[in-house]
Order: sequence, then structure tokens, then C-alpha cells
Amino acid sequence: MAFLATFLIRRLAQGVLIVLIVSFAIFTALRLVPGDPARLILGPMASDAVVEQTAREMGLRDPIPVQYVHWLGQVLQGNLGTSFIKAKSGGEAAGGRDTSALGDKATVVALLEQSLPMTLQLAALALVFAFLISVPIGIVAGMNSGGWFDRFAVYLGSAFVSIPNFWLAIVLALVVTAELQWIPSIGYQGFSYTILPAFVIAIEMSPIFMRSLTSSIASAKQRNFVALADVRGLSKRRIFLRHILRNAAVPVLNIFGVQIGAMLGGVLIVEYIFNYPGIGLLTVQAVLERDFPVIQGVALISACIFVVINILVDLISTKIDPRLDF
Amino acid sequence: MLHETAPLLRLEGLSISRPDGSAVLDGIDLTVPADGVLGILGESGAGKTTLAKVMVGWVSDPLRITGGSVRFRGEDLRSSDVQRKVRPRIGFIGADPGNAFDPTLPVGVQIAEKLLAVAPGTDMAEAKKRVIALLDAVRIPSAARRFAEFPGQYSGGMLQRAVIVDALINEPDLLICDNIIQPLDVTVAAQIVRLLKELRARTNAGIVFITTSVPSVAEIADEVAVLAAGRIVERGLPMAIARSPQHAVTQELVARTPRIWTGEPAPEPSTAEVTPILQVSDITKTYSVKDRSRFFGKQNVQAVRGVSFDVFQGDNFGLVGESGCGKSTLSRLLSWVEEPDSGAILFEGKNIAEMTGRERFAMRRGFQLLLQDPYNCLPPHLPVGRTISSSLTIHGVGRKETAERVRAAMAEVGLSPDDLHRLPIGMSAGQRQRVNIARALVLEPKLLILDETLSALDPVEQGRLLNLFERLQAKHGLTYLFISHDLAMVRRVCTRIAVMYLGKMVEIADTGGVFYDPGHPYTKALLSAVPTLDERPYRTEDVLLDGEPPSPIDLPPGCSFTARCPEAMTTCRMKEPALWSRQPGRLAACHVTAPAP
Repeated sequence: MAFLATFLIRRLAQGVLIVLIVSFAIFTALRLVPGDPARLILGPMASDAVVEQTAREMGLRDPIPVQYVHWLGQVLQGNLGTSFIKAKSGGEAAGGRDTSALGDKATVVALLEQSLPMTLQLAALALVFAFLISVPIGIVAGMNSGGWFDRFAVYLGSAFVSIPNFWLAIVLALVVTAELQWIPSIGYQGFSYTILPAFVIAIEMSPIFMRSLTSSIASAKQRNFVALADVRGLSKRRIFLRHILRNAAVPVLNIFGVQIGAMLGGVLIVEYIFNYPGIGLLTVQAVLERDFPVIQGVALISACIFVVINILVDLISTKIDPRLDF
Repeated sequence: MLHETAPLLRLEGLSISRPDGSAVLDGIDLTVPADGVLGILGESGAGKTTLAKVMVGWVSDPLRITGGSVRFRGEDLRSSDVQRKVRPRIGFIGADPGNAFDPTLPVGVQIAEKLLAVAPGTDMAEAKKRVIALLDAVRIPSAARRFAEFPGQYSGGMLQRAVIVDALINEPDLLICDNIIQPLDVTVAAQIVRLLKELRARTNAGIVFITTSVPSVAEIADEVAVLAAGRIVERGLPMAIARSPQHAVTQELVARTPRIWTGEPAPEPSTAEVTPILQVSDITKTYSVKDRSRFFGKQNVQAVRGVSFDVFQGDNFGLVGESGCGKSTLSRLLSWVEEPDSGAILFEGKNIAEMTGRERFAMRRGFQLLLQDPYNCLPPHLPVGRTISSSLTIHGVGRKETAERVRAAMAEVGLSPDDLHRLPIGMSAGQRQRVNIARALVLEPKLLILDETLSALDPVEQGRLLNLFERLQAKHGLTYLFISHDLAMVRRVCTRIAVMYLGKMVEIADTGGVFYDPGHPYTKALLSAVPTLDERPYRTEDVLLDGEPPSPIDLPPGCSFTARCPEAMTTCRMKEPALWSRQPGRLAACHVTAPAP
């Protein structure tokens, strides 16, 4: 128990530090790129004086650390700020056309509450698909490493890696949705709209899982204790389930932890192409519109997800292999 | 029925070949009786492990059985059905206990898993009870707690015991021991041989004992077969083979067996020159490691606890002790890779700690360290010529002179000039070690510290390098500090020897003193465990230690050897003994042998 407590306390403290660094980096970078949000909000017709005044009201002319501390204080109270652009109604306030005051804009928390569950659903389904593809292939290839199936798995993996996700997304939307009308996609009107985007992400992720599973199973199989287990009289089934899989699990888990970052990147593009209303789409729009509060909120949430998942991965890894010391 | 009369294990004309047709085993005829020990003696590369494996029907790719038969109670072990049926009746103990268990599961659980697999119908509670009882029987301390510990928490000797338990747990009819004492410290190896002798009295299993060591096979076997290049070249009773070996290979094996108390006299320390080149006074080193069971917990590992000794010019100084006694830490301190926590090291009369950076840099030329692992201490992507010359370049020697000196050093250690541009890959362990020696030698050092430098090499190569060291010493007036666990090697070359136990010197004496008149019970225990055919002055039964050194964390007060000492007295538990001079040049730290105060 003491181990678990020290582990969690140490890792959560590290995690908070990581999140702070990431959020500060994003915060600073956003304010250094060209493009004045006040100008974007007010539109090209507004006079410089009005833009300047709005910017001052919004705190955009304070030094960056001051803005950051202010933002952080709000975050700790559960307030991620208010979108510069998005209206509460869900509609968009493009420059000049919308004259409503800042108070009518949607809060970042509300925007995340709408889009995060959608993205989690997409990510979960993508993971299920990726595992369905890579686990059987990876295991069979690893158990017969060097054989024809192993080579086939390598070719399959290279093919999957080489397919650009935007291309696959467009082709699937065209063929499966538009031509054949098998599975709907584009936008979201029910669970079935998740299938194609999830499949595209799964195709992108599965080669890495496949390869890491193959190589870690193949190397676990080479270990002396596996050959000896056979001589000691353990059944093949037991050797595989209890010893080979167990020893192969840790490297695959670690790859999984790292791949979470890659998956967040994949979500961005795939959601945009399929117009899937998740975090990815929200981010793309926010970036195009210099919607700082939303970008910061998304960065914060992504960093938190990444940190938490990696703490879990390491915790499970130490449970599987007691030699590990994080 | 055939099964009643067939011998336990019979190999008839068995041949195993590589894919290119060359034979690993060639026409082996062997019979293992149902109750008795068959010893198989052979040097490395003779095919011993292949022979051990085929005795359980295990032939690993790409080897193939190309002729003959191997039968267990008359049943053909080549068939996988037979293998499945008879493997529970055979216990197999390999040379590599560190890789015998799954590192991610507790040792006891894995042994119980095996018992459940080969003896269906046993329940887990019963299996656990039997495993703990047997762990206890092979003298694993606190067996119940050890049951739940992982392989990484066991020492090598304890793991080998656990593997023996694993092999014996379902009371097999045949036990195959493939080189099981090879990787162990001498005292632990002697304990394992003693354990096996006890077991053979208790179990009714036939035992095959495969080894390179003539003394251990002579101690345990009823009958010996000598394997050389895949053939049985000689058979006989163990003592007959040890006394009058017939075949050339057997003769060499016997001749190579170290002589400790017979043969040439111990090398004498030089009396003429008495300038100490290296003076070590009361150095200590404690490492602080994380204690995972407590918040911010730290544990102190006392690796070196107040060591003092002098090495004289032209001397061969030996430092011996079991794994984990602090030898390697000491070598790191001596070569100033790490600084001691307290105490001083003087090289040619100058305190290294007080030297300026420039002086220390210059000093290092005279002071070289050679390490154990010949594979990991050469940069793999550099041609060996560059590796050797780099030390001269670092010390600012001109290019032309460097090239000359590299050539000279390579010639001196027996490397051909063609090796200059070779990469280390593909070089043998002995050649790599020569590269290391050349690298140290180009700097014209005065003192060489050899930290287990020869222990990874086979005995033949070891002998060659020892001759090389002797030649270099005669020519350059080098001083050597040998750090080793190999008492026989130290006996052969060293003039003075220090015995180390748990970070302290327990005895320092001339070689004659250590081997003929040891002043510390630990030294006696080490001597009793040396594999030799000599008549020993100390009987294993009287002085061999049980168990292993205690952990250097939280050492008890008093003499740290007390817990294992057969002669311990009350004083020993209270007061730490200091080194005292028994005779001129012979020091020991022991209350028992010390005169009453």
C-alpha cells in the first residue's frame, strides 16, 4: 500500500508540473504568433482605437506571465474562460456580423463538455478496432517470427503506415458513405457516425501496435525460461498465456502510453475531415480563429489525459513486472 | 515387460549434427543407472549442453539428431508424445539459474505452478506447503517469505537452489545437472555440491552430473565419462580418472585443475624494494539507495568500510572475496572513478584527493584499470587501433609517436598489425582483452588494476594472458593489483593477498601465509571451497559456510562475520575486531585467533 501511495503522490506531482509547463508553453506561444484576437473579434471594419480598447478590456495587453497567472487562477476555480468567437447558441460569431457582448459567448467548459465525450467515444472505438486488427496479427506473427506470416504482417504494417489518413478518410467517405451508403459519416447524428472515423484512426495506429507486439512476443519466446518451462512440463497453452503474454505486455503497454499523443494528433485531422463534432474539430476551428481560451482549454485537457494515461500505464506495468521502478 | 528391465536412460550411438553436417555429438553410448551418479566431464565446447538437453529430448534448432537413439525406460525420447509423458519424471537443472524463471512472477508460485502441471490433482495450498518445505530443505533462509519473492530478489546461489527445488518438487526418477556450479562463487558452488550429495542419499533418482570441474565430479560421481569434441573418449571411476588420466583431453583437464597445497611454492613478496606505490588508508564508501517501502525512505549500503593496505613497487597484490563483498567498489575508488567518503589514497606518496586536476590527469597515465567484461568495454564502432591510440591522443602525444607506440604495444600483447583497422566485432574475448591491455600499456603505466580481468576467459586463454602479464612485469617493472574471486589464480601469481568480506579486510598476508597459515575463519572457509584435487588442510565439513554474506544494509554490531562463523564467541557479537599483526607481514581481524588482551 505504501508503495502505491508513494507512487501516486510522486507521479501526480510530476504530472501537475508537466501540465503547468505545457499550458504555459502553449499560452506563451499563442500570444507570440501574429494575429490579434481583438481584431479578429471585431472584424476589419472596426477602428484601431476600438480594437485597442477591447484588447485592454480583455487583458490582452498585460504582460504574458500576468495573463497566465490570471488564467491559472480562473482554471483552479473551474473556469477555463469564455470563447472569443463561439456563441452560447452554438452558432458562430464571425467578425463584425455578431455584435453581441462577450457575455453571450459560450464558456470553454461548456464547449469541452459537448465535444470531449464525442472524442472519447471516437478514441475508444478506434482503440477497439486497432486492437482487433493488431492483437491477432501481432500474436501470430510473434509466435512464428521469421515465418511467412511474420513477413506478411510486416508488409501489411508498412502498407497501413503509408496510407495517409486524410486520403483514407476521403476515400471511405466517398465510397462507403456516398456511393454504397453502407455506413453514414460526415457530421454526427448517432453512434454509427463514429465507425468510419474510428476505422481511419485505427488503421493509422495499428501497425505500431502490431510491430511492438510481434517483436516483444518474439523476444519473450526466445527467453531461456520459456524453453525451460516446456522441459519442466508446463503445457504450451499455459506457457503462452501466463509467461509469454505477461512478459510481452510491458513494452506494448508503454508503446500504448506514447501512442496516446499520436492518437490525439490523428483525431484532429480525422474529425476535421468527417466534420465530427469532437475536440479535434473544436481545436481546428479555434486555431483558425485565434480563439485563445478554447485552444488553451484543449491543450490543458490533452495534457491531463496524456499524463493520467501514462501514470496508469506505468502503474499496470509495475504490477506486471515488479522489477520496474518508476 | 520391457519397461521393467530397461535402464533408466540409455543413449546408443547418438549423433547430433549442425545443418552443415558437422557433428556436435558423435556416437554417444551412455547408460544412466536407476540409482547412482554418472559424471560427465568435458571442457567448454565439447558438446556438454547439447548432451544434457538431449537427455530430456530437447534438441534446439538448428541441430538435428542424425543417428542412434535416446531412450528413457525404453521409450524413445525423440517422440513428442513420449516427451510429454516422461518429462515430469525428469528434473533438469541448467547452468544459468538467472534465466530459469519468469522474472515477473514469484519464484515459489512458479515452482508450485510446475507441480500442479505435472502432478494434476494437487491443490494450491498443498503445493505451496510442499514447495516451502523443500525450499527449507535446501537451506533457503526464511523459506515462507522467499516463496513470494521474485527471481530478481534472489542471489545467484539461492536461485540455483530454487532451480534444484523446482527439479525435485515432484520427486523425479532422473535428475540432469548441466554445469550447475559454473556461474557460482566458490563457497556457494561447494555448498551446492554438498547439497547434491545429501540429496542423492535422500532421493532414489539417477543423477547425471555434467561439469568442467574434475574435483567436483570426483567428489560426487560413481562413474565418469569424459566428453571431448562430441565423443566419449574415456570412462572410469572418478578417482582413477583424476589420478591417472589416459586420454590427452582428460590429462589436460586434470593438469589444469589448480594445485593449491602441492606443486610450486607460493610466490614470495620482494624484500629488496619496499617503497609503496599505492597506499590506502581507512577509506570508506556508502551508497544511499531508495527504499521503496517507505515515503522518501533511504537505505545506506556500506560497500567499503574502512579499508587500509599498501601495495609495494613490483608487487603482485591480490584482493579476494565473494560477489558483493565490495571488491568492485574498491577498484572504482582506487582508480578514482569515484571518490571515497573518507580516508586517503596515496599514489607514489601523493594524496590523490589533494592533487590539482592537472596533476591527477598526469597521474592517471601511471595508473590503469582493466575490467572484467571484454565485450562492453571496447567502443564497438571504432577500429581497435583508434581505441588504443585514443588514450595517447588524450594525453597529447604527437601523431607519429602515437602510431609507433600503438604498433609496439599491439605487438607486445600479441595482436597482429592487421588488427589495427579491425572493429572489435568478431574478435574473441581473449583478443578483446588484449586490446584493453594494449590500450593501458601504451601509456606506460606503473600500476595496473586488474578487476576480474581474466575471469570471463577460458582457462587456456587465461594461462596465456598470465604469461603475458609476467613478461610485461619483467620488462617494464609493472606493479599489479589483481582483484578476483579465483583463489587458484591469485595463488599462482600474487605475492601478497588481502581477503575482503562485507567491505572490510579480514586478512592481509603474504601468499604463503594465506594458504598455509590462514588467520581468519573466513579465509579457511574460502580455502575449503576451492575446487582442487589436493588433500585439503581444512575439511569442508568443519569450516564451509552456510548461507551467504548478510546484506550490507543495516549491518549488526560486532564482527560482521559472526553470523556465519563456526568459531564465534560472545566478544565477536559485541566488538568489531581490528587488523592485528600475527607475524611480520601477516595481519588478521579476528577475536578468535587474536591473543587474549
